[in-house]
Order: sequence, then structure tokens, then C-alpha cells
Amino acid sequence: MINDEYFLAALRLASGNDPIPGQVSAAARDAYRLRIPQAVTAAHEAATIRSVRDDDSSHLVRFITAGLTFDLEVTEGDGLIDVAGHVSPYPGEGALVDVRSPHMTLTRRITHTGHFLATGLPPGWLSVVCHRPGHAPIQTTWVRIRP
Amino acid sequence: MRDPAQLLAAAADGDRSAWDELESSFGPRMWAVARACGLSPADASDAVQGTWLRLLQNLRNIREPAGIGNWLVTTVRREALLLRRKDLPVISSAEPIYEPDPAAAVLEADDRHLLWKTVSTLHEPCRSLLQLVAIDLGNQQVASRLGMPTGSVGPTKARCLEKLRTLISLQETAQ
Repeated sequence: MINDEYFLAALRLASGNDPIPGQVSAAARDAYRLRIPQAVTAAHEAATIRSVRDDDSSHLVRFITAGLTFDLEVTEGDGLIDVAGHVSPYPGEGALVDVRSPHMTLTRRITHTGHFLATGLPPGWLSVVCHRPGHAPIQTTWVRIRP
Repeated sequence: MRDPAQLLAAAADGDRSAWDELESSFGPRMWAVARACGLSPADASDAVQGTWLRLLQNLRNIREPAGIGNWLVTTVRREALLLRRKDLPVISSAEPIYEPDPAAAVLEADDRHLLWKTVSTLHEPCRSLLQLVAIDLGNQQVASRLGMPTGSVGPTKARCLEKLRTLISLQETAQ
């Protein structure tokens, strides 16, 4: 059985109405600069996404791969988001994290306790990359933070 | 002219022009699927962007590189259906796609042509209704153009799509 959405999409394409906007194509092409060759990807555990405050402004999400776990607490405020993260086990001296949106990357050092903080990111797609000297980078899958 | 599997392999090896070609080939149908799922242009843009970001992390993990078009379309549909949810969580991401939906093949150019031709063979009101839906007229405008109650548009559309589905299946069986 073919889903109605595919049929409707095919009809829309055939009609030539509502073509893909130029800026959507441009954003897709521009995303290629976010490719990290050799990176290992940590998948998020859906069951770990949970609210940690009564007002629903702060949420926890966990990403796991062989050898590294990311715990991110994402907090919304004034239309921007803050990410307080913890990487375990401690990835070692000189390790850095990139907290990335498609249009902005904030690079932070990881403290000896494995913590880092990035503030003032736009809502939308978010991923974190951990760079460890002598190891392949580990990136989280992209998750969407609701505006 | 490189085929989709070659483009995918080249993009994984750092060839930016291959990535651009993938976007040219599949971006328009991804947009159409996101919009056909009922998303606003802003949300459709998010669903499409999220799908490309997901591909970027899976350039070497696509099980059937030749079917990358179906993978992209299946993924964007899942992202779009997630974004459409009224109870969308603050943090969300669609489940990864391992087996693309074979039904997405209806978006291939040849099948689209056949689909449009088949629509023109439908009886009224299906022919006009699907043509109006294709140009993105809302239920109210469709109702006014076809002289039917607004509440009938949804169920009639579903029946017309069912007829279209049957005709396409018959044509595919005959081939």
C-alpha cells in the first residue's frame, strides 16, 4: 500500500507548484561542511529524553557509543538554548567538544570532571562532537530542539 | 553522469560536487513529501535539513546505495510526521531508517509521469479534485471550486486516492 503522502507529493511535483525554495536547497548543500570524516556516531537513547524541571524548560538526553557516553541537559530561555553536558568516562587532557547547530559551532574545553557548557544557541538541529587527541572524533546524532 | 550509488560513494570520500548533485536530484522530491505531509514551509525546511544532516552521518552506512533516493524520501516523511505531532517533544529525532519504503518509488520521474496521466483518466470529481490538491489549494477552496461541502473534501480525496492507487497497481501488474 502506497502512503497518501507519497502520492500527494508525486502529484505536487508533477504539477510544478510549490517548488523547493532556493534557500532550502542552499542550506542542504551548505550542510556538507559539517561532515566529519572518520567520526564515530553515538546514537541517542529515546528513553532517556526526559524533563528535569517542573516548568518543562529543561530536558536531558543521553547518547551512547562504544567507549563514550554524552549526557546533555538542554535548557530553553528567551528563544535560545543552553547545553550543559557531561562526557564519560573523562576523555583525557586536551579533549574538546564542538556544540553544533547548522549555522554555529561553539568549541569548549572539557573539565576534569567531564563537564562542559555552551550557551546562546538557536533552537533547531543540534549535535555535539568530542575530539580526543589520538582518537577518532565521536559525534552525537542530530536531534531537533523545538523552538 | 554519475548514478546515485556513485554520488553517495564520492560524497563519502569528500567530493562536494557529488553532494550537490545528490541535492539537485532528490531535494525537490524531499520538499514535496514534507509539504504533502501537511507541514508549513518553515517546518518542511526543518524536516528536509534534518534528513540531509542524518545522511551526512550515514554516508558509508546506507545498505542499498542505489536506493538512496528512497532512503531520503522515507527519512524525510518520518521526520515530517514527527514534526506534525501536536505533542512534539522538546527534543526529538525520528528513528533511523534501515529499510526504505519501496512505495516511495512512486516519486521517480517515470512513475510521476504515469501518475499524472492516470489522474487525467479519472472521472469527476476525482480528476479535478486531485489536480486542485496538487496545486496546494486548501479544502475550503477546493470545496468552493467543485461546489461541494467543505466537510466532504477530505473523505472524497481519500476515495479518489484509493481509486488512483488501484489504477496504478493494475497498470503495474499489467506491465
